[in-house]
Amino acid sequence: MEKIKSFLKGFGKGFKKFGEGVSNVVNFVLLTFVYFIGIGITSLFAKIFGKKFLDMKEGEKSYWKNKEGEKELKDYKKMF
Amino acid sequence: MNILGISCFYHDSAACLIKDGKIVAGSEEERFSRKKHDTGFPFNAIKYCLKEGEIDVDEIDYIAFYEKPLLKFERILSSHLETFPKSFRAFVGSMPSWLNEKLRVPSIIRKKLKYKGEIIFVEHHEAHAGSTFLVSPFNEAAILTIDGVGEWTTTSTGFGKGNDISIKKEIHFPHSLGLLYSTVTAYLGFRVNNDEYKVMGLASYGEPKYVKNFRKIIDVKKDGSFRLNMDYFVYHHKMRMPSEKFVKEFGPMRKKGGEITQRHKDIAASLQRIVEETIFQILRNLHKETKCDNLCMAGGVALNSVSNGKILDNTPFKNVFIQPASSDAGGSLGAAMYLYNSILGNKREYIMEDIYLGPGFNTDEIRSFLKGNNIKFKEFKDDNKLLKKAADLIHKNNIVGFYQGRMEWGPRALGNRSILANPCNPEMKDVVNKRVKHREPFRPFAPVVTYEDYMDYFEAKTQVPFMLFVYPVRKNKRKLIPAVTHVDGTGRLQTIRKDWNPRYYQIIKEFEKLSGVPVLLNTSFNIRGEPIVCTPEDAYRCMMGTGIDYMVIDRFLVAREDNPKDKWTSWEGN
Repeated sequence: MEKIKSFLKGFGKGFKKFGEGVSNVVNFVLLTFVYFIGIGITSLFAKIFGKKFLDMKEGEKSYWKNKEGEKELKDYKKMF
Repeated sequence: MNILGISCFYHDSAACLIKDGKIVAGSEEERFSRKKHDTGFPFNAIKYCLKEGEIDVDEIDYIAFYEKPLLKFERILSSHLETFPKSFRAFVGSMPSWLNEKLRVPSIIRKKLKYKGEIIFVEHHEAHAGSTFLVSPFNEAAILTIDGVGEWTTTSTGFGKGNDISIKKEIHFPHSLGLLYSTVTAYLGFRVNNDEYKVMGLASYGEPKYVKNFRKIIDVKKDGSFRLNMDYFVYHHKMRMPSEKFVKEFGPMRKKGGEITQRHKDIAASLQRIVEETIFQILRNLHKETKCDNLCMAGGVALNSVSNGKILDNTPFKNVFIQPASSDAGGSLGAAMYLYNSILGNKREYIMEDIYLGPGFNTDEIRSFLKGNNIKFKEFKDDNKLLKKAADLIHKNNIVGFYQGRMEWGPRALGNRSILANPCNPEMKDVVNKRVKHREPFRPFAPVVTYEDYMDYFEAKTQVPFMLFVYPVRKNKRKLIPAVTHVDGTGRLQTIRKDWNPRYYQIIKEFEKLSGVPVLLNTSFNIRGEPIVCTPEDAYRCMMGTGIDYMVIDRFLVAREDNPKDKWTSWEGN
C-alpha cells in the first residue's frame, strides 16, 4: 500500500511538472505571437505616426507633470 | 467601520486592518511565510489581522488595494510598445504573472477571502501619501512620496490638511530616483529591491568622485524635477537594469560576492550624494510652494536614513515624519487610511506613536511552547530581576535575543524582536556578524539610546523612535560606543522613551548602571536572508541555529548552552 502511495505521489509530482512544462511552452508560443503581431504592428504604426509611449525628451524647463483633478468614490472602484 | 488594506504582487506583500480610523493590526506576509520580501497574496497576514480585530470577513466594510492594476499595466504595455522589439524577453517573462495575478486582483481577493463587499483601488502614491500624512502628528504638512515606480508615478509632491490629501505634481516613469538607486545596487552586485540599504552603508566608505559621471545621467532642474538619460538604463525593456553605456561610464560591473574595491565605494558615495542633492532640491521647492514647516515622506527612497538625517540641515523644513513601513508594505496601511479619511471624509483618529502592530504571544502561550518542546528555561516572577540579569549578560559580552509583546510593523526591529549586544566592545560588531548575522563586514549595526540621553551621544535634531534617521555620534562619545559607530562617525539610532516600551527602556537603563552608557547595540532578530522572527518557535530556532547566547522571551530566560542543538544550524561554529 505504501509503495502504491509513494508511486502515485511521485507520478502526481512528475505529471504536475510535465503540465507546467507544457504550459510554459504554450505560454511562450502564444505570447510570442501576441508580442510580434499585437505589440509589433501597433509599435510600427506608432513610430510611423510619431507617437511616443514614454516621455524621454530632455532639456525641458521642468519635468513635473501636474496631477489631474479631484476624484470621487466611484472612481476608486475602478482598476484604472 | 472596518477597512482591510492589502498590498501584494510586487514586493513586500502586507495587510493592515483599521477600525473606525485606528490601526488594529498590520503585518508583512514574509513574517508568516518566512520568505523574505514575499510577493504573494498576503493570506496569512490577512488571517492574522482579522483574528486580532476579532472580526470575520463579512464584517469588513471595504477592502482597499494599494494601486490601480490597469494603470500599471498600461505603463508596462507602453514600455513594450516604445521599445519593441528589444523588450521581447521581458514581455514573455512578465506577462504570465500579469495574466494570472496582477490583472485579476478583484477575483483573487473575492475567491481567496470569500469576500463579497466593495473593493477600492487607491493609486500607489496616494497610498504612500496616506500611509505617512494620515498617521502623522501633523494637521498640515507638505508631502513627498518617492520610490521606484507605482503605476506611472515615481515621485509626487503635495499637501495634506486635516483628512485631505492633495497631490499636486508628479514625475513619471521611466524617470525614477528609486530605479536609479536600484540600478547602481544591481551594478554593484547586490540584489534589487532588497540590498539598496547596503549601497547606502557602503557609501560611507567612499568619496563622491563619480558625481560628474552621475550628472550626465540625471538632469535636475531648479524646481527639483529631474529626468534620467535612458541611454544608461535598460530596465524599461529588459529584466536587468544598467545598460552597456552605464558600464562603459563606470567600469565593469561587480559580480555578486566579488571583491568590493575602492571604486565600488566611491560609486556608492557618488550615488548617495546625487540622490541627496536631488531630494533636497525637491524639498526646498516643496517648502516654497506649501509654506509649511512640517514634512511627511513615504516610499522606498524615504527609507534612506542617511539622507533623512540631513533634511533638517539642508532644507527649511522644521519637522519630519516618516512612516516606518515606508516601502510597498506600508501601501496597505496607506490605502486603508486614505479610503477612511480622504475618500470617505472621516475625521482622523490615529497618530502612529508605536509600531507594535503584529502578532503577540502571551506568557502562557510561550510557557506552553517552551515546555512542549522540552526547552530548558528559567522563569522570573520578578521582571526587574530578569532585565537586570539580561543587562548583566549583555555587559559580559553575550549576545541576547530580546523577544516580547507584539511584533514590529515595518522593516526595523525596535525592541520586541531584537538582538541586543554590548556597544562598548570594539569587537562586538565582528562578533555579532560572525556568530549571528553573517553580514558583509562594511555594514554597521545600529544603536538604541534612551530618550533623555540621545542629545548627549548624538548630534541628533529630533528624537528617532522608528530608526529612520542617521545622525553623527558626538566626537567625544565615539570611543565609548565603537560597535555602533559607523566608519564615518554616524549611527542610525533609535531613541526610546519609557512609556513607548518600558521593558526595552529598562534593560538599557540597567546596562547603563553597569557600563555608564545608556546605549545598546540593537539589530533585528533574524539571520541574513531571513525575515525577522515572528513566533516563539521562529525565535528559538534562530537562537539555536546561530551564536545567540541567551534569549529573553517574555518572562523567561533561555540559555543556548542548556539546550540541545537539534534544530537547523546556520552557524559553522556550532
